[in-house]
Amino acid sequence: MGVLDVFKKATAPVSRRFGLTRPERAELFDEDFQKKLETLAIVSRRVFAGRMRAERRTKKKGSGIEFADHRDYAPGDDFRYVDWNVYQRFGRLLVRLYEEEEDLSVYFIVDCSTSMGFGDGRKFDQARRLCAALAYVALANLDRVTIVSATDSIVARMPTTRGKGRIFKVFDFLRRAEPSGVTDLQDSLKTFVAQHKRRGLAVLISDLYDPAGFEQGINVLRYNKFEPYVLHIVDPQEAKPALRGDVRIYDCETGDEREVTVTPKLLERMERAWNEYLLDVERFCTSRQVPYFVADVDTPFDELVLSVFRRGGFLR
Amino acid sequence: MIFAGLPLSTLLAIAGAAGGLTVLFYILKLRRRPVPVPFSRIWERVLRDKEATSWWSRLKRLLSLLLQLALLSLLLISLGDPRLAGALVEGRNVVVLVDGSASMKATDVDPSRMGVAQQQVKKLVEGLSGSDRMLIAQMDASVTPLSTMTGETSELKPAVDALRATDTRTDFRRALAFALDSLSGLSKPEIVVVSDGALGDVADAERGLDLSGVNLSFIPVGRGKKNAAITGFSVRRYPLDKARYEVMIEVTNTNEEPVDVELSLLGDGDVVDITRLALGPNERLARFYKDLAGASRTLEAKLALAGGGRDDLPADDHAFALMPERRRARVLVVTAGNTYLEAALLLDEYLEVTTVAPSQYPPSGNFDVTIFDGVAPPPAQGSGGLLYFDVPEEGGPVKRKRRIEMFGFDTWDKKSPLLRWMALGDVQALYGHALEPEKEDRIVGASALGPILVAGRRAGKRFVALGFDPRNSDMVLRVAWPLLVLNVINDFVEEDTSYVSSFATGDVWMIPAPSGAESATLKTPEARTLTVPVKEGRAVYFGTQAGFYELTVETDQQPVTSAFAANLVSLEESRIEPVTELTLAGKALGPPSGFNPGVRRELWLYLLLAALLVSGIEWFTYHRRLTV
Repeated sequence: MGVLDVFKKATAPVSRRFGLTRPERAELFDEDFQKKLETLAIVSRRVFAGRMRAERRTKKKGSGIEFADHRDYAPGDDFRYVDWNVYQRFGRLLVRLYEEEEDLSVYFIVDCSTSMGFGDGRKFDQARRLCAALAYVALANLDRVTIVSATDSIVARMPTTRGKGRIFKVFDFLRRAEPSGVTDLQDSLKTFVAQHKRRGLAVLISDLYDPAGFEQGINVLRYNKFEPYVLHIVDPQEAKPALRGDVRIYDCETGDEREVTVTPKLLERMERAWNEYLLDVERFCTSRQVPYFVADVDTPFDELVLSVFRRGGFLR
Repeated sequence: MIFAGLPLSTLLAIAGAAGGLTVLFYILKLRRRPVPVPFSRIWERVLRDKEATSWWSRLKRLLSLLLQLALLSLLLISLGDPRLAGALVEGRNVVVLVDGSASMKATDVDPSRMGVAQQQVKKLVEGLSGSDRMLIAQMDASVTPLSTMTGETSELKPAVDALRATDTRTDFRRALAFALDSLSGLSKPEIVVVSDGALGDVADAERGLDLSGVNLSFIPVGRGKKNAAITGFSVRRYPLDKARYEVMIEVTNTNEEPVDVELSLLGDGDVVDITRLALGPNERLARFYKDLAGASRTLEAKLALAGGGRDDLPADDHAFALMPERRRARVLVVTAGNTYLEAALLLDEYLEVTTVAPSQYPPSGNFDVTIFDGVAPPPAQGSGGLLYFDVPEEGGPVKRKRRIEMFGFDTWDKKSPLLRWMALGDVQALYGHALEPEKEDRIVGASALGPILVAGRRAGKRFVALGFDPRNSDMVLRVAWPLLVLNVINDFVEEDTSYVSSFATGDVWMIPAPSGAESATLKTPEARTLTVPVKEGRAVYFGTQAGFYELTVETDQQPVTSAFAANLVSLEESRIEPVTELTLAGKALGPPSGFNPGVRRELWLYLLLAALLVSGIEWFTYHRRLTV
C-alpha cells in the first residue's frame, strides 16, 4: 500500500489527523507534496535499480549468503560453518566466513536554529520538505530512518523507524519542529553521536550559520565514523538584504549588534562575502570527500531531491 | 554692502543658534533602526574591509556638515536682505500715470490701447532695479492709485492687470497733482505718462504745478485715427403733446477721410429708424428725428460704418437716453364756471381735471395743481401748486394794490418757464387789479400800472397769481391763454424741469431722489449693485460707464425706482489720433530710461538661488550616499 492509498482512505485533512493547528504548518506536507513523494520513490527505484536497494553489505562477517573468507576453527564455532572440503584436502579445520548483510541507518539532522526561520521561514520549510522527501525514499528502501532536530543541542528526536508506511510519523515530527535557538553544530552533533552508536549515513540539513564554525560540526560526524552528507539550505535573498541608510544590525541568534550605514557598494560587498561563504563550505566538504549539496529555497523540493539522487552518495 | 533686512545683531544671534544646532545634530547620532540579520559573521567580514576606508567616510561626513553650514549661511544672509550700498541710495521713485480715458478703448492696436499700455507698464515693472520703487495709478476723470509706492513686483503686476479704460475724459491736471504729491520728499522722483495723448489742454493742466526736479517721460500708445462718433444725443417731449417726442443726434467724423456711416435709433431695443449718412472730413452733422410717437422709454443710438466694418473706437458709437415717464397731472379747478379755462385744460390729454364749485371746496384727494378762478379760500392739504385768476381782495397770496383799467403786458420775464413760447405784447384787458407782491415774490408780468402776474411761495406752497379775470381781456382768444395755463401746470408738476435725458460720464451726477432717504441702491450697466449717498434729495455718484442705470430708494411706503442714462459724448475723446510727443515743463518728453528687464540687483535673490543649489547638491549626495 502506497502512501497515496493511505491518503485516499483518509477523510480528514492531514493537519487535523496530525493534530496541527497552525495553518502554515498544515500546508507544509499537503496532498500535492505527498504525490510528489510517491513519484520520487518510483523514480528512485527505476533509476537506481540493482544498486540502490536497501540491502547493504557491511564489513562485518556473519551469516550472510555471499562467501567472504576462511579462518581457523576455534572451539565454540558452529560446526555448520566448518568447510569439510578443505579439511578433506588439507586436513585443516577452517570455518567459512560470510559477509553479513544489514539494513542501512540513515540519520537526518535538521537544523532548527532561529536563523533557519529567518524572514518568512522559507529555509526551514524547504529543509523540512527535503528531509521528509529523502526520509520517504529511505523508508521505501527499507532503511532505518532517524530524524533529530538540532540547535546547540539535540532538541528532539524521532525514534528509528523503517517502512514507508511510517512516513506520517516523519511528517508529524517535522511539523512539530520550530526554529528557535542558537546554532552550535559541534555541541549538538557531539550529543548526537553519543546517542547513536549505530553508525550510518548522517544527512545534515542546515544553513550552516554556526558562529563557532560549521567545520567543527561536520568533523564530529567524520571522526565518529558516520558518513556525513551536507544539504546546505540557502536563501539568495540573504545575499541582497533590502536595507538602506543607517541601521543597527543584530544577529537573530546571538543578538550581536553592529551599526552599519548601508550603501549600494556595501550591499555589493555583502553579496560577494555571502558567495564566498558558500564557496568556503563547498571547498571544505569537497576537500574532505563529504558529499555536499546546495539546496536553494527558490528551487522546488522535488527537483532538489532528484538532483541529490543524480549527484550520488545519498544511497549506495 | 549694507543689510536692508534683519539687523546684523539679530542675524548673528540666529546664526549662532542655528549653526550650533546644526553642529549638534551632526555630533548627536540618531538611534538607528534595529534590523535583524541571519548571520552577523558575514556582515563582520564585509565591515572589516570597510573600516579601512572609514577616514574617507568621516571626511565626507564633514563635507556634508560644511554644506549644511554653507546653506544656513546663505539663508541667513538672505534674511538680512543685503544690497549694494550704492544701489540703495540711488533708488528711483516712479509714478506711472496710465491713461484710462475712453480713447484708450480704441482697438487700432492689438488688443487695445489699454492692453498695449499694460504691456508697456509691465516691462517697466520688470525693469525696476532692486532699490527702485513704483506707484501705478490710473488717470481718467479721477485718479485711482492701484498700488502703493513699492518695489515688489508681486504687488505691481496685479496693479497693472487692474487697469481698465473707462467712458470718461482724462483730468490730466488732477493726475499730475496726484503724482507730485506722491513724490513729495522722495529721492529721484520720476513720472511716466502712458497715454494716447488725449489729455486735453496740457499747458493748462500743468499751470501752477512745479514739475522741476521731476524726471518726466512719456510712452505713447496707439497708431490709428479712423473714428466716427456720436458726439451729441438728446431727447425731449413736446410741451403741448407729451405723448410725442423728438430726438437730436450729432455725429462727427474725426477722420481726415470722408466716411459713410449707418445711424440706428432704437426705442426700447427695437429699431425706430436707420439712416445712412455721408460724413466729410472732420464733419459734425446733427440729425433730428421729429414728431416721434410711441411708448418707448429707453432710446439708444448706434453708429456703424456703412460697409459693415467698425472704426477704431467702438466706445463712442453707442449712446443712451431715457425719456421721463409721463404721468397724468391731477388738476383741481375751483370755479363757478369758466368755459375758456375748461377749453384750455382739454388741450393736454395728460391732465386729470376735477372741477368743483367754490362752495364745495375742498373736495377729498390730493392734487398737483389747484386753480382758483376768482376765489381764494384757504388752501387745503394736498392742493399742490396754486394758480389764482383775478385774485380777490381777501384770502389771496398777494394783496390787490389798486384797480386799474385798460392795460396790457408792458414788461414780462421772457426767460420765465411760465411764459415760454408766448407773445404777451398784444394782450389787452378791460380792468383788473395791480398786485402788491411781497419781498420774495417774483413779478413775471407787469403793465405800466403795476404788477399783474406774480409768482412766489407761501407756507411752502408755490403760487402764481393773475391780477385780472382773463375773460375781461382778449387773452382768452389768443394762443397765449392755453400756453399760460399749461406752462404754469408744467412748472408746478416739475416734470419738464427735472427731466435729464442723460448724464455725462466723468462727472459727479446729482440724480433726483425722494428726499428723506440717506442712501440709495444703484444698479450699473454692468449689473453691479452699489450703495450711493443721497444728499438734499439727490443721489451722488461719480459715473464712469455709459449705459442705463437704475436707482432704487427705500422710502417709508415702498421702494421707489427710477432710471437714467449716462453717455460719453465727448468730441475730445473721440478724436483718437495718437500724439507721439508730449510736451511738459517746456520740453518734449522722451521714453523712460533705466528700466532694463531681467536685471534685479537685489542680492538676496541670487543668494536664495545659491542656497537652493547647495540644498540640491546635498539632497543628491545624501540620496546617493556620497556624504554619509
